[in-house]
Amino acid sequence: MRTLVFIPAWNEEASVTTVIADVRKALPEADILVVDDGSTDATAERVREAGALVASLPFNQGLGAALQTGYLYALRSGYDACAHLDADGQHPAEEVARLLAEVAADRADLVIGSRYHSGAVAASGDYKPTFSRRIGISVFRFFLTLATRQRFTDTTSGMRAANRRVMALFSEHYSPDFAEIESLQLAVRQGLRVEELPVRMLERVGGTSFLTPLRSAFFIFKGLVVLLVGQFRPRHAEAER
Amino acid sequence: MKLVLAAESGQVHLTSQTRIVAAVIAIFFMLMILELIRRDRLQERYSVIWFIAGLGMLAGAAFPGLLEVVANLMGVRNTNVALFSLVLLGLLGLALNFSVIMSRQAAQITRLAQERAIEKAQRQAAEQRNGSGSSGEQTLKSEEQSL
Repeated sequence: MRTLVFIPAWNEEASVTTVIADVRKALPEADILVVDDGSTDATAERVREAGALVASLPFNQGLGAALQTGYLYALRSGYDACAHLDADGQHPAEEVARLLAEVAADRADLVIGSRYHSGAVAASGDYKPTFSRRIGISVFRFFLTLATRQRFTDTTSGMRAANRRVMALFSEHYSPDFAEIESLQLAVRQGLRVEELPVRMLERVGGTSFLTPLRSAFFIFKGLVVLLVGQFRPRHAEAER
Repeated sequence: MKLVLAAESGQVHLTSQTRIVAAVIAIFFMLMILELIRRDRLQERYSVIWFIAGLGMLAGAAFPGLLEVVANLMGVRNTNVALFSLVLLGLLGLALNFSVIMSRQAAQITRLAQERAIEKAQRQAAEQRNGSGSSGEQTLKSEEQSL
């Protein structure tokens, strides 16, 4: 089984080398691709030095476009399974390996690593969300569950594993603006098996979240509009073609 | 029940002076569109709508009675109100049309960037398989410089 692990990165020269090494250790068989989303720092050079593949977008296109690049690469290059994790070091690679095992066992088409799932074990240094973030999380959780009639706890998780059916779908349809949530809604609506797995995530090492209260409110509003519109998209678009 | 005809006292406020000014503006406008096309600054397919707008302006200036007919049809007493609301609606539609075109082009640009990134990564992968990892980096770098 050929596996690709891809890492969307935007100006992550400080952490990307560590993340690549971590993935190599946990998944020695997998190929590693870093999707460099128009970085202006030395991200691409760090990746080449580490011996991993790099797909450089010529200008910053946003997380959705970067993730779609990874899915498209996996699809075109004939990988059986793929997974992605964040480049900032919040996602331990051994947890990604557990997600991939679910896909390999064909128990699901798309597996999401969830921070908030009740089964997730908390340890010191683990991820703890702030108050304003918790509000946003519950709002999205509620509406996505309503929209998909399936329980989701971590709607914005950037740690996922997928098989070829998901690659085919996401390489064609992946919202550039609200990638994480809309993609879950889309996958469920297309009849794919989406599953959540409790995972450990670490506290972010450097940098702070971009969310201020006003931005959070706008983020939530935008998310709700996207979800509402998504409910009116045609089901099984693949079958029509 | 008596129907009230809004345009019972229709009035057209255009003097011959304003009509001439409007006609001149319309003609200049269409000449400008032609010039933009000639200099490759505007594609023909996006110019049609502007020609129609220019012709509409010209028609309004030449036959002010047309405006009255339109106002009558809309049930608006004041022809100016009819004119402004029609123009506003038209511009609104046009702005929406541009948003649609922009969205399509943004999607096309993204896909183009993705294709290029993937192609380069695939070449890097092929070079790694051929066992020449370091020379692969070299070719990639020299390619970047040539671009």
